[in-house]
Amino acid sequence: MNLEKVVFGFFVLLAATLNFGFFIGDIGDPDLHNPYELFAALVVSLVATVLKFGDRTQIGAVHLATSLVADLQLGAAALAWTYAAHISVEGMTPAATASVVSLSGGALLANAVSVVLLVVETVTYHRR
Amino acid sequence: MANPLLDFWLRLLGQETEDERRPSRLSRRLRRRIPRASEVQAEATIFLVLRRMRAPLIVLILIFAVSVFGLTLVPGQDPATGQPTRMTFFDAFYFMSYTASTIGFGELPHPFTAAQRLWVTVSIYLTVIGWAYAIGSLLSLLQDRAFRQALALQHFTRKVKRLREPFLLVVGHGRTGELLSRAFDELGKRVVVIDIDPERIESLELGSYHADVPGLVADARDPAHLGVAGLANPGCHAVLAITNDDEANLTVTMTAALLRPDLQVIARTTSASIAERMRAFGTPTVVDPFDRFGEHLGLGIRAPASYQLITWLESGPGATLPTRGHPPPDGRWVVCGYGRFGRELVADLQREGIEVTVVETRSEDTPGGVLGDGADPDVLERAGVADAAGFVAGVDNDASNLSMIAAARRLNPDVFVAARQNRPASSPLFAAMETDALLVPPELVAHEVYAQLSTPLLWRFVQEVPTRGDDWAAGVVDRLTELCGKRLAPLWKVRLDRSEAPALQDWLRSGEAPIGAVLRDPDERERRLDAVVLLVLRGDRCELTPDDDFVLEPDDELLLVGPPAARRGLDSTMLVEGSASYVRTGKRVATGWLWRKFQP
Repeated sequence: MNLEKVVFGFFVLLAATLNFGFFIGDIGDPDLHNPYELFAALVVSLVATVLKFGDRTQIGAVHLATSLVADLQLGAAALAWTYAAHISVEGMTPAATASVVSLSGGALLANAVSVVLLVVETVTYHRR
Repeated sequence: MANPLLDFWLRLLGQETEDERRPSRLSRRLRRRIPRASEVQAEATIFLVLRRMRAPLIVLILIFAVSVFGLTLVPGQDPATGQPTRMTFFDAFYFMSYTASTIGFGELPHPFTAAQRLWVTVSIYLTVIGWAYAIGSLLSLLQDRAFRQALALQHFTRKVKRLREPFLLVVGHGRTGELLSRAFDELGKRVVVIDIDPERIESLELGSYHADVPGLVADARDPAHLGVAGLANPGCHAVLAITNDDEANLTVTMTAALLRPDLQVIARTTSASIAERMRAFGTPTVVDPFDRFGEHLGLGIRAPASYQLITWLESGPGATLPTRGHPPPDGRWVVCGYGRFGRELVADLQREGIEVTVVETRSEDTPGGVLGDGADPDVLERAGVADAAGFVAGVDNDASNLSMIAAARRLNPDVFVAARQNRPASSPLFAAMETDALLVPPELVAHEVYAQLSTPLLWRFVQEVPTRGDDWAAGVVDRLTELCGKRLAPLWKVRLDRSEAPALQDWLRSGEAPIGAVLRDPDERERRLDAVVLLVLRGDRCELTPDDDFVLEPDDELLLVGPPAARRGLDSTMLVEGSASYVRTGKRVATGWLWRKFQP
């Protein structure tokens, strides 16, 4: 067992599950989407990105790219949430919530690709 | 080529003249054959650096996350209403950002409660540690030797790849390499340097070159390093293997001959067997300073003016006229030191018909010579220095050579002294000794290579000089000093073909174009251009220093020497119809097509 692989798999999966947890639920209802979960998803996604630094394989490069996409989407979601909660006079309207959640939905897709890559990598790994 | 438009059309239509040696397009297969492994190595180092930054970055992210998260959980109080509040993620992130970066705007949005201050105290210490760790790791990585080398290699690779003009690949930047890089830089040619010693590459930055000289610290015996240095680049038009190491030179010669057979290779060696092995690969030009010195010394004894002319021309533009030596009287020579240098020299002297006495410390190496140390006056006396015509101090130690010369001069003040200088630092001492002939191997090699590469016809001229006799050479030296004084003017080559001299074609074909009439100032016909024609090459025949009545023909190649103004004058005669016809007939012809139509 390789501890590095455990940590790597853990963070990739955790990023995807947290993202999914935040995304699930009625898209316009602010009560169903906890900002703490968004925060956790963003932090774990950042850590997963850094873990993918310095991998020279082709699959490693795609891993890094998907993570960067997820970071970008979650960062945009966090900005949208900040705008709605602090700057806009209307507060967390269903429309604002929907935009935050749909941005995180994009990140969820990227994270799903990451998980698929992880599974593919594991399946194609032959113990000799 | 002086006319850029002409150059453009020639390139477009692909009518390249053969002798221009334009870099031919390399076939794809050939290019793939040249390895460039070290580029991959450089990339690997950068990946390693990224990998090593993982831990500090993750620590930083986690510390930030924990601090921000904690701050949103700890209860605060709104002083206006007295209601308990909590910081939002935005407020917490904002606060942590300015606190962690030690900017410190204060307690926002409301003054903190004791519970909040407790948590902030903890997070301040955490974030300081996180930042210190991350920045410390980054700085130590930037100082890392492997990382810096990788960056330097990438920088070098990029510079060489971007070279679009023809360049020379100089392997070995010792004394010879430095002299050559400088001389070619003066001529406006680009140079790329490889050396195994980092100090020599650093000296590139201090040396004030006109153009940027890319330098790489690497072992040239590895073909991948030569590949990175531009062996695969179509602009590379010659490789100079001039390190101090014969075997490295051999390896470079082999690499170039096997991977780029079309390249001109010049290699330096002092060993005859290595020279043979080099010649087994393609057709490299091998320069052996010991061998060449023997020939030079022979020439210097026989024909001092020829020797003076050759040395002057080989020293490059701006060189001062070397003094003409006085040939020694006929007689026996004493050679001290019978190593590689001594053997070559004795063979050369015997070929000139000179009787030689050898002085050597090793008994098995002295056939009919004197056994002993040349610095010992008794030994020199036994060797008969007192009645010798010439004396050669040729061991590989400068102190011994100098003391030998002093001892020999005491026995025979009029003896002709030739010496070998081994270290550049000894040069003022040998200069003070005023030897009659001095071998400085790096300089000799540099001059030979320069003569072969700088101007295409110069080497041909230099090789023809010894066959013409000493009086002729003295005449040429007089003409050159009359033209440009004690400092040599630039040399250049022209070819009177349709692309380089389109305006002269009619005149040349008429068979009435003597040199004296062509070399006229295109602004003022009465004035002759200040240029001397050293050589005219027609097919395979060459005419040395033709006089003014020599009639030029189309496709002749000329080697000229003269100031830049003369070159510009000749260029405009060769290219501009109006100038050419003015020089030929004395009548001004309009240059434009329309004006020519109106002219009677």
